[in-house]
Amino acid sequence: MSNFIERPRYACALGGALSTMRAIARAVPIVHAASGCGYNLYNTMNSGSAYLGGGYCGAASLPSSNVTEREIVFGGEKRLEEEIKTTLEIMDGDLFVVLSGCMVEMIGDDIDSVVKKFERAGKQVIAISTPSFKGNSYYGYDLLLEGLVKYYIQPAEEKIDKAVNILGIVPGEDVFWKGNLKEIKRVLSLIGIRANTLFGEGEGLKEIQNSSNASYNIVLSEVYGVKAAQAYEEKFGIPYITEQIPIGYLQTEKFLQEIGKLFGISKKMIEKVLERESGIYYDYFERFTDIYTDADLQRYAVVVGDANYAPSVTRFLSDELGWLPKLSVITDILTDKQKINLEKNYENYESGLKVAVKFDTNAAAVKKYLREVWEPNKNQKYYDALSPLAVIGSILEKDLAASLNAPLITVSYPITNRIVLNRSYIGFNGGLILTEDILSTLVAGR
Amino acid sequence: MAEKRIRQIAIYGKGGIGKSTTTQNLTAGLVEAGKKVMVVGCDPKADSTRLLLGGLAQKTVLDTLRLEGEDIELSAILKEGYGGTKCVESGGPEPGVGCAGRGIITSIGLLERLGAYTEDLDYVFYDVLGDVVCGGFAMPIREGKAKEIYIVASGEMMALYAANNISRGIRKYAQKGEVRLGGIICNSRNVDREIELLRAFAKELGTKLIHYIPRDNVVQRAEIHKKTVINYEPDSKQADEYRELARKVEENRDFSIPTPMTQERLEEILFEFGLMDDLVDYKI
Repeated sequence: MSNFIERPRYACALGGALSTMRAIARAVPIVHAASGCGYNLYNTMNSGSAYLGGGYCGAASLPSSNVTEREIVFGGEKRLEEEIKTTLEIMDGDLFVVLSGCMVEMIGDDIDSVVKKFERAGKQVIAISTPSFKGNSYYGYDLLLEGLVKYYIQPAEEKIDKAVNILGIVPGEDVFWKGNLKEIKRVLSLIGIRANTLFGEGEGLKEIQNSSNASYNIVLSEVYGVKAAQAYEEKFGIPYITEQIPIGYLQTEKFLQEIGKLFGISKKMIEKVLERESGIYYDYFERFTDIYTDADLQRYAVVVGDANYAPSVTRFLSDELGWLPKLSVITDILTDKQKINLEKNYENYESGLKVAVKFDTNAAAVKKYLREVWEPNKNQKYYDALSPLAVIGSILEKDLAASLNAPLITVSYPITNRIVLNRSYIGFNGGLILTEDILSTLVAGR
Repeated sequence: MAEKRIRQIAIYGKGGIGKSTTTQNLTAGLVEAGKKVMVVGCDPKADSTRLLLGGLAQKTVLDTLRLEGEDIELSAILKEGYGGTKCVESGGPEPGVGCAGRGIITSIGLLERLGAYTEDLDYVFYDVLGDVVCGGFAMPIREGKAKEIYIVASGEMMALYAANNISRGIRKYAQKGEVRLGGIICNSRNVDREIELLRAFAKELGTKLIHYIPRDNVVQRAEIHKKTVINYEPDSKQADEYRELARKVEENRDFSIPTPMTQERLEEILFEFGLMDDLVDYKI
């Protein structure tokens, strides 16, 4: 039997494109699809992404052509043209992006030629094909960026040395994207690298337009954003590297050393930065060591998450928190090559631990894997239980955690049990915040 | 010298009019003249490259996608045929299911992604299913693809009717982009006063009859042998006709936005040119 997706952890390509658009101030999406697509996707992303809201032009103010049977039979280009025209009249924006849904792509509406008319009239309207049947929201993020590279971003007159773009952190799908981008920008700035995170605090269309001047793209993912990076490489000649998201001191230290090496930054400078940062980091980190040892806050752990979070969180638990992660399940749809690359991130733990890594899109499969990695209780006289245990995952692991009598800490999409604003889980600060959130769950009853 | 541009040409026309036959024979003519050509069959029947490949040796893009997924090499879907012609068949779902139009969008997208449009090419031909029934079949004439269109027609009423109808679609695309009609190719059915009729029809459409290909059984014989006429009987008169067509296409610089006519006007033209003056001819 082929595998199934019991509860999806993403929306469709259109959904990913919309949540990425949501992250760009003064950019207005125009959905060319049946009525329902836009608002349903907003609902999915809003609640799954810890109540993200509609942003500059989302939620109920999302312009949509709402095609009906008439447009499907006779073609929807006229309706789209009308929708663009009225949107331009009503919505105040600097860039208008037509995003297509499944049905208009099936009938072959030529959205490019529709937006050309407006381009000739001097309006910034572009069209990006985002049919949902092409992939999930991660793919939609790549499609949107590819589209911006192709139709919006102009080549820079010159490349800026030590300027990089950050790709691979998908707004919405990474619930902590904005805080994460802020921290990654901060840590890179410590070693003299100017990071354009495209969707970060205070960034907008100007930064997106300027992204062609980067001398490197850093893709903080083995999976997402790679297509976008390839588009940058092809059009602007910007090379890229992929890195796992760094969580906590050790991973961020290694990250900065690698990036520093890539840019030829002196070891001395990096060491100086790391010395200062580690001073700050461990000044906070040591605070909980008393309660950690007194109350024995060490836990076994099961990690369930996307390809960005699962490997980094698992390593963080093992190497920084001193926990015992037993199982790490990555829930994305991946190619064999991507799986092999991701597995490498579980090698050489400082703790010496080996974690069982599984790839499965089915949320219900986690229990099955747990039985594989830990002998189940068969009413033996003496039983070594997998306890105490904590589950780090998404809200879809709620039932799993309850059945294991373990607390759940949500880090990966969807997250509906908390409100997330500028929280970050990556970098030095992100490591501290993640520690706070994980350990707070354990002391919450005191 | 200006940057070399690939001439991308779409061939349309009524079903069964001889688009594939004409495209492949025209291709053979161009190849003989030293041109590099790619033929992209955009018909679910996948018979657009049979004469160039010497049989239906081609695995279609969509079959390959279905069986092997998207992670494929160009060589899996592109075969070399007569005189180094690059041959691709889009293919499609079996009759009555799925969406063949979307299939064409998918396969042309894949060709672009795999880098099939190489700089050494002089021509790319899209041989498109007879009736442009949905947006997918107009994919080859979208922005950045074929800018020239030739319609294959004959003097038969329904062929002209279809050609006129196709012109409506071309007009729509021409008004918003660069696509233009290059002319009508007459694939003769030995209808009365066919050449005059086609000339008048083309003129009314705002284009011209680019070439009149007489009917000759050698075409049928060559087809049975899975060859183009130029390949099968290079010295035949018909082979010269295709060479002539190739020359005219190569030299054609006359492109227009078609002016399709009403049904009434089309029928008037048929009345005016489509009948012999002397009705005695019609007696058996």
